[in-house]
Amino acid sequence: MACDQTNPSCAAIGRTAVWLLALALVPAVLTGWLHPKRPEWSWTRPAVTELPLADAERLTLPVIWLDARPDEEYAAKHVPGALSLNEDRWDELVPKFMAVWRPGTRVVVYCNSQECDASRAVAARLRHEYRINYVFVLQGGWKAWLEAHKP
Amino acid sequence: MNRLTCILRLPAGGIFVVAGVLKVLDPARFAADIDHFRLLPYFAVAPLALYLPWLEIVCGLAVFVNAWRRSALVLLLALTVVFIAAITSAWTRGLDIRCGCFGAASTAPLAYDLVFDVVLGGVLFWLWRVEGRPGPPSPHNV
Repeated sequence: MACDQTNPSCAAIGRTAVWLLALALVPAVLTGWLHPKRPEWSWTRPAVTELPLADAERLTLPVIWLDARPDEEYAAKHVPGALSLNEDRWDELVPKFMAVWRPGTRVVVYCNSQECDASRAVAARLRHEYRINYVFVLQGGWKAWLEAHKP
Repeated sequence: MNRLTCILRLPAGGIFVVAGVLKVLDPARFAADIDHFRLLPYFAVAPLALYLPWLEIVCGLAVFVNAWRRSALVLLLALTVVFIAAITSAWTRGLDIRCGCFGAASTAPLAYDLVFDVVLGGVLFWLWRVEGRPGPPSPHNV
């Protein structure tokens, strides 16, 4: 079918297409307003995605927890099942992590508290050097986990 | 020919409705999936994650409405071309990401999604060509 501007049925297709584009806008706005899982909006991409503990523990996909704290703190106590990966022994520990990591696996990195930077650094390196996408930093870190799992 | 067209409408429209619904279930996750393609400025990611699934649902349903079908097919074909371009771009950059095409159900490697989209694009194009052809005059033709 020839489709130029003089063809009236072509103009009709275009008009209906604009209507369809506009129609989809209505539920989209409602979704952004009311959906419990609506995306966060900001102008710039947050350097590393922070994940609240409740969300991290709700992840249904395979998750690897990474402890970015120094060795002795990891040895003392850590999130059950968490692997150790700190920058002090990066080259030694990273192969152990890569051995269990699979594409699509979510990675949650934590360090001591909200203020520590080790988890952010580890997450950034995994993202940039190993191109691992689903890396999150645990909001509140180890302290938040302890607080939530008080005996 | 006519019967084939009727049969093909079902997957062509239905796939987009299903894909849209799966994504609407978790827009935050879809936003992350879009962001991982690293093709768009961050401020555009969340709005697109809200809009795109609904556009798929609306156009997918419109495929089954006679008066809207051709417009819907054009839009869906355009969407599929954009998806193919995005997946190809991610693939050639070696990004380790999921397509996100079917929300949480997307687990296949990108190459599978690429093949899927190319086939889907072919079906849409064929439908658009056939549906666009003026039929014999009949009282039902609008």
